[in-house]
Amino acid sequence: MIDLVVTGLTKRFGGLHVLKGVSFEIHGPELIGLIGPNGAGKTTLTNILDGAIKPNSGTVYLNGERIDQLQSFEVARAGLGRTFQVTRSFRRMTVLENLLVPALALGHGHNRAEVDEKAMEVLEFLTLEHLRNEYAQSLSGGQQKLLELGRLLMLDADVIILDEPFAGVHPSLMEIIYRYIERVNEAGKAIILISHQMDSIFALCKRLLVLNYGDLIADGTPDTVKNDPTVIEAYLGADDDEQGATNGDQAAS
Amino acid sequence: MSRQHTPQLAGLVLIAFFAVFPFVYSANDYPYIMHLLITGFFYAILASSWSMLAGYAGQFSFGHMGFTGIGAYTTALFCHYIYLSPEATNLCTEYAIGDQFLIFVNPIGVTSSTLSQDCLRQALSAWDGSVQVTAMPVWLGIILGTVMGGVFGLLIGLLVLPLRAAYLALFTLGFSEILRAAISAEIAITRGQAGIELPYLFDQGITLFGRHFDKTDKLPPYFVMFFLLLTCLGILAWLAKSKFGLFVRALREDQDAAAALGVNTTRYKVLVFVITSMMAAAAGAVMAHYVRIITPNNLMILQMSLVVAMAVIGGVENFVAAAIGAIIIEFTLELLRNSFEVGDIVIDMTIWRLVIFGVLLMITLRFSRNGIISPIINHFLRGHVAKETVAKRGAAAESAGGSS
Amino acid sequence: MEFPNIFWGVIGWMIFWAVVGSVITRRLYLHKDLDTSNAAFVGSMLGAAMGPIGLAALWLKTPELTNRLLVWPAVGAVTLIAAAFAFADPSNNCVANGSFVASQISNGIILGIIYGFMALGLTLIFSILGIVSFAHGEFYMIGGMVAYFVTTVWFPGIYPIVGILAACLVTFALGAAFERMFLTPMYDGKIERPVEYGILVTFGLAFTLQYFIQATVGANPVKARRFFDFPRLRLPTAEDPWLIKTSRGNMELFDTISISNPRFVAAVACVLVLLALLYFLHRTWTGKALRAVSLDREAAAIAGINPDRMNMLAFALGGMIAALAGSLLVQAFSWLPQVGAIPAMRSFVIVVLGGLGSLPGAFLGGIIVGLVEATGTGCVPDAQKAASYIPAYGMIVLTLTLLLRPTGLFGRRFSGGAHGKF
Repeated sequence: MIDLVVTGLTKRFGGLHVLKGVSFEIHGPELIGLIGPNGAGKTTLTNILDGAIKPNSGTVYLNGERIDQLQSFEVARAGLGRTFQVTRSFRRMTVLENLLVPALALGHGHNRAEVDEKAMEVLEFLTLEHLRNEYAQSLSGGQQKLLELGRLLMLDADVIILDEPFAGVHPSLMEIIYRYIERVNEAGKAIILISHQMDSIFALCKRLLVLNYGDLIADGTPDTVKNDPTVIEAYLGADDDEQGATNGDQAAS
Repeated sequence: MSRQHTPQLAGLVLIAFFAVFPFVYSANDYPYIMHLLITGFFYAILASSWSMLAGYAGQFSFGHMGFTGIGAYTTALFCHYIYLSPEATNLCTEYAIGDQFLIFVNPIGVTSSTLSQDCLRQALSAWDGSVQVTAMPVWLGIILGTVMGGVFGLLIGLLVLPLRAAYLALFTLGFSEILRAAISAEIAITRGQAGIELPYLFDQGITLFGRHFDKTDKLPPYFVMFFLLLTCLGILAWLAKSKFGLFVRALREDQDAAAALGVNTTRYKVLVFVITSMMAAAAGAVMAHYVRIITPNNLMILQMSLVVAMAVIGGVENFVAAAIGAIIIEFTLELLRNSFEVGDIVIDMTIWRLVIFGVLLMITLRFSRNGIISPIINHFLRGHVAKETVAKRGAAAESAGGSS
Repeated sequence: MEFPNIFWGVIGWMIFWAVVGSVITRRLYLHKDLDTSNAAFVGSMLGAAMGPIGLAALWLKTPELTNRLLVWPAVGAVTLIAAAFAFADPSNNCVANGSFVASQISNGIILGIIYGFMALGLTLIFSILGIVSFAHGEFYMIGGMVAYFVTTVWFPGIYPIVGILAACLVTFALGAAFERMFLTPMYDGKIERPVEYGILVTFGLAFTLQYFIQATVGANPVKARRFFDFPRLRLPTAEDPWLIKTSRGNMELFDTISISNPRFVAAVACVLVLLALLYFLHRTWTGKALRAVSLDREAAAIAGINPDRMNMLAFALGGMIAALAGSLLVQAFSWLPQVGAIPAMRSFVIVVLGGLGSLPGAFLGGIIVGLVEATGTGCVPDAQKAASYIPAYGMIVLTLTLLLRPTGLFGRRFSGGAHGKF
């Protein structure tokens, strides 16, 4: 049973308070949307969960194991995987090699045939099979995004954070990503989806977390969040933050 | 026989060629050609291990020559200052080991023209030939040099962990320079610019294949260096094929992404430094015993430039290409050595060849970043990939068309 | 050294508390939810300067780490080392001989100004192109060679300024041509790792230039004649020689500090050119455009500045600055094709110490490195060792900087482009 418990995370950079005590819990194969205007702290939160940076205070437990003080690679082995906002495939390695990295890092190397088989299955699922010996740099941007998702499948993480998976992706590939999310979810894994594309978020997620300037201002079903006065204020609020206003338009639509 | 196997076959032919070459070749310039080949192998070890460090793992270190120096100076100092004697000298620092005494000779530097002699020399003249002192075995010195290279590799690897790109290059260059400064300055121990002498690789000569080879013979060191090169290439090939190679390449491409996928980036970054440093140190130690003198100038930036240029021209992302590039360039540089005259002006090719070499390095970088040898190998190894991709795409499209 | 135990004992004590201070202070500030960016540096310096007492006070109060707290412990640590040295080696020239110390310090500052000026070129290239030029030393060398040939070999008796201008012209053209031919592919994203490519290709340039000069000029050291003689001065009178005294080649201040003419002339010229450079960067359109590109490439491009042009200008200008330093110093040192290696290393140290990309940092860093080298060469007991270790002094500064404060004195984070990869 998947079990992610985040309690009271704070983080400051210099004088800037980026996260001010964020707490939430995930139990079971949930599909959660994490939204918030730019600068809300979504990326910082992801980086803390992933182990790339350490929080000033607060704890993160994954399946009963404390992971907030672990290094990135230990967090990954503990079962939390993530993609990056900007695609970060290993550009001068072949598509297949890209997939092998997480599998071998987990120590599955002794059963190479099984790993290869799984990699081929993942490639087929992502429709990248014919490119398996090509360097990742020769793939299109959308295909690289798929490749990054494929690496997470090989990592077999319990909790997957997808940072803007739909940004700049061709509609035909979008469908594959939808299928991917469905597949991961059905396999009993939890997904945290960060996106600015509200229609996708509302279509997919049963639960939304809303961050605003380091505070978790809402946690609930899309309908309750949509009508939450604090969320509306954060997005459409009286302040003249243009970015917030545009996001608000999307949220309202 | 598919095209993919051509490089392997060529490699085997090349190894066989180098293995029989010293027995077959018998022209007058035999010692010269052998010397060139030994030097070529030496640079091949450096270039291929540097290509693992820089090309595979993306750590552009300019301290590689420093590690060669560490290997060479470790064995030089070891053979120079430590002896075994059946009797106590009562002058030197000495420790009893069984019925022998391990003697540490006191460093007196290059001041031997004065009256003071080192403690062992004094003891020997007092014994007047009644006691036979044994020098330490050369192979032990080489092993110690290799280990010392690994120790320093570990230290540097840990220190440069947070550094990337330009900072790493600067720091390693600085390490190499500090080392050179220290060796030049500590004249009492290292004899400074005068250089320190080393014993022959096989001081008593050696009997191989039923033939006795004198200590000045070039064949034994040739095979020592050749086997060291093969060992290094073997280790590198194994590493590159195993998950180590996969991980360090992932590290080169994107350190954070590799860590997020569970790769212990710290461990592999340090490990690649340790392994390549040990190779450089081993090569340096053997080479030092072959040329029998080592000076701080062996660590000069020129030497490092040569290694970098060889690796880059061969192909920095393929250690075999880097090794072949090193041997070819070593020979080309020697062929270009002959100066000639145009009218009254003497063209001093000993310098001009380096200019040509520098231009070649820049042009290779500019127009063929994978080097010159590596694309040829890749042509055979990966030539089929594009065709395969197209064929598969075609098949996929057809089946998709059929099903819809 | 008479009492080496005192000196090494104090150094060992300082290192111990510095390590303790840097590690624990960082942890403590992190734990207390405070700004940690300077914690390691302050902790180590305070530990080194005041040992457990200073650290205890710091840990109890955990004050905000202001600039004052950054500077004073560092000064204290340096003072402590100096004091330990003075006690350990009381008869050393740089402890016992006041005028030697004064001379050494003033020479350190004067050389530091020139070093800083040269490093300025490197930092300019870095802040615009995002690469570290490994050919900086060779530009320096070529500048000196051109000035030597113009003023001493081809047109003896010509105004030295002609030689300097020729050096500038030649290296500017060389830098611009190299940038066009070899660095342009870096900008359009065709190269996977532009930073490494920049290092390697400038490394190749350095190699080529060095041997090209050796092939054409030869490997024998050359020396240019002095550009300018001091007027003979004795102030206020010959009987009362306490203020300034000059001969043609030397200047003596207060009867104690002696400064050689070529270095003095070079330092003054560097300051003048620096002022001109500051005027150029802050008052002219091109200079403002350069600074804009270094701050934000994309935004500058939108504002109608051609960043490609600026790359060429910056690389050529950076090389020219090194050459200018070389052409000024060719009258002070004998000149070889290999002469650029040590100044190049020193420039690297200075830009890292000052903060890669920071112009004032480069200048201050230059003076600090100049002083460190002067201290090193003056105070290390064995003169020959002291001279051999010259390249090492700077590297110690570099290592300490990278360990304690990797951003340097005035480091700033670079936003986009190749800068982000550091």
